Amino acid sequence: MNQWLDERLHISRLNDKFLRKAFPVHHSFFLGEITLFSLIVLIITGILLALAYEPSNSLVVNSFDPGTADKQNLIPAAYHSALKINAMPFGDMLRRVHHWMANIMVAAAVIHMMRIYFTGAFKKPREINWWIGMLLLIFAALTAVTGYILPYDNYAFQTVGVVYAIVKSVPWVGDWLAQAAFAGQFPGAGIIPRIYGYHIMLLPGILLALTGAHMLIMIKQKHTQPQYAKRLAYKKIVGVPLMTQQTPIMLILALLFTGLVMLFAAYIPVHPIEVFGPPSSTPIPNIKPDWYLLWVFGALAIIPGNLGFELFGGEINAEFIGAMVFPGLVIGLMFAVPMLDRAKDNQYYAENPTNHPVRLAAGTAFMAFLLMLSVAGYKPDLIQAGLLTTANSNAILWILVIAVPVVIYFLTIGIVRMIRALREADERDSLAHAHADD
Amino acid sequence: MTRYKKQDPEITRRKFINAAMGTSAGVGVLSLVSALGSAKPVFRLTADVAPPMKGDVLVHAEGPNQGQVVKASELSEKLVRAYPKGRDSKGNEVIRDKDPTNILAVYKFAPGTLKEPTKLDATIDAQIVAYGDRCMHAGCNVGDDPKGVGQMFCPCHSGQYDATQGCRVTGGPPPAPLPQLPIKQEGDQLVVTGFFLSQPYGFTKEAWEEYIKKVEEAMA
Repeated sequence: MNQWLDERLHISRLNDKFLRKAFPVHHSFFLGEITLFSLIVLIITGILLALAYEPSNSLVVNSFDPGTADKQNLIPAAYHSALKINAMPFGDMLRRVHHWMANIMVAAAVIHMMRIYFTGAFKKPREINWWIGMLLLIFAALTAVTGYILPYDNYAFQTVGVVYAIVKSVPWVGDWLAQAAFAGQFPGAGIIPRIYGYHIMLLPGILLALTGAHMLIMIKQKHTQPQYAKRLAYKKIVGVPLMTQQTPIMLILALLFTGLVMLFAAYIPVHPIEVFGPPSSTPIPNIKPDWYLLWVFGALAIIPGNLGFELFGGEINAEFIGAMVFPGLVIGLMFAVPMLDRAKDNQYYAENPTNHPVRLAAGTAFMAFLLMLSVAGYKPDLIQAGLLTTANSNAILWILVIAVPVVIYFLTIGIVRMIRALREADERDSLAHAHADD
Repeated sequence: MTRYKKQDPEITRRKFINAAMGTSAGVGVLSLVSALGSAKPVFRLTADVAPPMKGDVLVHAEGPNQGQVVKASELSEKLVRAYPKGRDSKGNEVIRDKDPTNILAVYKFAPGTLKEPTKLDATIDAQIVAYGDRCMHAGCNVGDDPKGVGQMFCPCHSGQYDATQGCRVTGGPPPAPLPQLPIKQEGDQLVVTGFFLSQPYGFTKEAWEEYIKKVEEAMA
């Protein structure tokens, strides 16, 4: 059969070009793969969910609790179909797997990115792939946010209200932009069909295209080689080929990983839409975004609301600064990472993070910064728990957001110095002993 | 014999192709912009999205009495959420609940509790007061804060208001107080006597004044 196909499609060229791609053998190189597997599972579960979902926010009678003839219990069709999915055999499980997989995809992508950053794998010639990776992260977050809204329970409703407010806060064009993006003034009659279109067509399309580019470039440029490859065969590509050695490893990993997530999802429910009920005017106490957007939420919570000012007839308000300008700066900094490196030569080998203490310390400080902002997102809870008061919360949280990263920065530098001093002492020792042996 | 001399063409091939490509790209993009226009539906000012206005009656927005008239006798220091109920152009009763900005918070405080900057002449006997219930920061619904009488707390970004003092901002990010709605009592019903006294969520002061003028014209 191979020959039959080869004569028609020249698959041997495909084999030479792509299927023999060497994969370095190191556990940290599986993080990107886990992200990819999550995406595949998300697409499969997403298709199954789309088969039963009704993308409409027009009101229908709740078939589970129809009310009385003169006072019918009307709920949005989208929420109704989400209730029906929950009642369907394995339906709730599908929602859980889809939800947790999305969280894990972002987590795996973030850890994958940490590996790239700390080992210097973003350096020339791989800057383009760093940027594509950044875009993937941004679009993954956007896809997740739109997916959040689709069940259209009260939680989703309150969330989309805030998202609408953020879009609307853009100066000059915000009002138009928000109405165009969410099909009219909130909550427009077409809001769910619009977000459904984003979530199942537009954003996954972008994600898949970017993923394809990400991997083609990776195959073209090859992985950075782990340090052992340097000792094994200097400047040679070391690793196992995709076909047939890497493929079984990937299959085992994918299945095991999916199995674990399903096991996890079987025990840990996603947020209960029955409890939150259909969209209403009742606010939800301590409403929060998913963990990867908590830092933006935290920034919004501690930025003073009277920060706004007028500029050329547009209003730059605190909402815009906190939810657009500030995250834009943070993401811009992440985009700029490859440009901070001035090396002219191509990077072959993954670097030992301790050999680059400033980069390592800057990375950990950056993570501490985002973590502290996420803590600031818990401001209402901290106030309610009595740990902070309304008066001092902003000041204390601002001090934490600024001081903790600084401390972490110098702590990391100190620890790296210590490790290197120990390492050098070890080397001196072994040299001295080697002489003694002579 | 004259030698034939090749003349430079007026326009080079490269220039021509670039100009042609540029023009078609421009026209193409421009045609897509027109498609963008369809993304934003037209806003129609119908009775169910119009803001609370003179003559509206307050009805419960949630709970078992949803849709029923809010009675002055059942109010307390606990927040009661209400929607204005008015009439459409045909004279049918319509609850204006299609715009979330119309959600109202109604309180009844003990005499002497309500203070400036609350507009006391827009309350009922300086006891019953109504505010817009959408947080001025990001448009969430503001709820009661158990910390004190008339204290309000927004669950989204912990904005705080004091309902006994004209819903002035007492903490958090909101840029302005919640707007007060002037009301009077007719029998046991609460009746609206005018538009919000300051701009509600989503409007600047000027935009709000412009909007109520438009509403007045449309509903007249």
